[in-house]
Amino acid sequence: MADSMSLNLLSRILLLQLVLFSLLLQGCATMAQKTANMRNQLASGNYQSALADAKQALQNNPDGVMENMNLGLLYRLSQNYEASNQALEKAKQVIEKLYATSVSEQTGALLLNDELISYQGDRYEQVLIHFYMALNYLELNQLDAARVELLQSQVKLNEWSEPKDDVPVMRYFSGILFEILGEPDAATVSYRKAVDAYKNTQYRHGLSVPLQLKKDLLRSLSAMGMTDELAIYKKQFNLPVPSASLFKTNAELILIIEKGLTPQREQIVFQTWSNELSSVIRVAVPGYPHPSPVLRPSRVQLADNVYTTEMASNIDGMARSSLNENISAITARAIARAVVKKQSERAMAEKSGSLGQIALMAFNMGSEIADTRCWNTLPQQIEIMRVPLEPGKHMLKLQPYPSTGLAASIEIDVKPGERVIVNRRWTSSAGASQYENGRGHINIIPLFPLRIYR
Amino acid sequence: MLSFLTTLKWTRILSLVTLSSALVLTTACGTKVTRVDSDTVTDLSGNWNDTDSQLVSREMIDDVLSRPWVSQFKRSHNRAPTVIVGEVRNLSHEHINTRTFISDLERELINSGEIEFVASATERGALREERKDQDLNARESTRSAMGNEIGADFMLQGSINTIVDVLKDEQARFYQIDLTLIDMESNRKVWIGQKKIKKTIEKGSWRL
Repeated sequence: MADSMSLNLLSRILLLQLVLFSLLLQGCATMAQKTANMRNQLASGNYQSALADAKQALQNNPDGVMENMNLGLLYRLSQNYEASNQALEKAKQVIEKLYATSVSEQTGALLLNDELISYQGDRYEQVLIHFYMALNYLELNQLDAARVELLQSQVKLNEWSEPKDDVPVMRYFSGILFEILGEPDAATVSYRKAVDAYKNTQYRHGLSVPLQLKKDLLRSLSAMGMTDELAIYKKQFNLPVPSASLFKTNAELILIIEKGLTPQREQIVFQTWSNELSSVIRVAVPGYPHPSPVLRPSRVQLADNVYTTEMASNIDGMARSSLNENISAITARAIARAVVKKQSERAMAEKSGSLGQIALMAFNMGSEIADTRCWNTLPQQIEIMRVPLEPGKHMLKLQPYPSTGLAASIEIDVKPGERVIVNRRWTSSAGASQYENGRGHINIIPLFPLRIYR
Repeated sequence: MLSFLTTLKWTRILSLVTLSSALVLTTACGTKVTRVDSDTVTDLSGNWNDTDSQLVSREMIDDVLSRPWVSQFKRSHNRAPTVIVGEVRNLSHEHINTRTFISDLERELINSGEIEFVASATERGALREERKDQDLNARESTRSAMGNEIGADFMLQGSINTIVDVLKDEQARFYQIDLTLIDMESNRKVWIGQKKIKKTIEKGSWRL
């Protein structure tokens, strides 16, 4: 009698402990569920309310890499480039701190769930931080600071020195910016690396080398007088060498269009048989259950000419292949965890009866969630287009989703030799871009100083 | 792996869980601040820091003042040369605040007493505004007249460059700081200074 009393007491204490600990976990919704509202707001073009959500999320986790990356992108969409860079810089610094693997987090992940491991972003996401920070610095009229970001991305890629982790759009963008900075040698190297990167990572994004990049590489090789290499690439691309003088006298339009939303990692629950336990166990892993829509290239109208953009980055494909590479380790960890949890439930049943077992089962069920964290405010794809312009005023009409009526008109005024960067983001065919019509472009005179006007 | 885990008893698991939650609660508290002398070397991340800035500016200025251009100028002009600091471009892979570096340079140069210094372009703008204002509002005897500025004889320009070699946990960083003193009238370079700093950084692969 006394024995069962004490056991009863023990199980009650345990129950209390479990409840307290579940409170610490702040509920066991997956990150996909927690950020769903922010994504919905973003998809419908309500950037301000998405930003408010992101700020709230950051308050709960000020050192969170994902929270800072999301906040950074949303500040960008609100045209607050300084705040955007602050948040992205914070994410960058935390990633640096998290470089070493944490023993306690790994242990915790085996006992509770993978969200106990600090999120540091996938490698392509870490590189894209530099891409967006460079664009922000351009908006802020700090060309040299944008250059710093290019170099940092190079250090990162060198550190990994894995061809599969290369991010081709970063290399291509670096080439364009080095050209603007008046460093044709660095630009040539970047274009060449970009071509390699598109080839090395093709299985991840399904893109071949963009035609414009091929032309850019040929043009810079020819301008640098690197005739041997030029001959090789000319043959490889089967293209004539574009005239270099065209860009010297004329102005140029550089269009960077970001479209859609990267897919959300979602929780997939499945049951599997454990030989060790001779029982069925429940396992939760992240996955991308839904295919993303196919987004056709944007239509660009400039005077009487109509152009189509080229996809320079398929972030959707990068996200999916990145998860694919890790999914076997994630699943192994999830199965190991399920076994431990089942074992603990059985042990509880032996020691303190069914009440304790039920409590622990409830706790285990609740705490077993898939790690669905990802930089989920990124676009689905990035498109790039370059067109030489006659100096003077031009009317640019953009149709990001050509089959819909969605369009933006931008008036640009360029001086000879000037570069104009037009960078716009649409999160869906229903939403507006971050700028009102006729606003939002950066005019750059190559070789500094930089001139911006709106 | 699995067999190792199955040997763990539930009590042990629970105590681990409690312990880890206690850890989460305790790690958050307490910021500790310790004051250190500004000459103390504080290498935290391996990035460019105040120590680098001070070291470079001091050595550069020692070098620039020990060269013959100062005495040559004094001999031919019968006065100390006037210098202005132009742009020091950050071409490194780090966001370096070149302003603190420039002010270190200016301080060392002015305090040497060997050369005169004039305000930079941005500072001049504010001063001219103030003089305009004085013209309108200040008593005549106290007014600073316009058109009495001293033109600089030389401009100091430069850049900070880095080469980073990196593989996995190890990094070698090489900083090269180049400064050039240019004669404003003839575009002649009268002095070129160079300072190199090399650091190696090793990152740990495990943490608690």
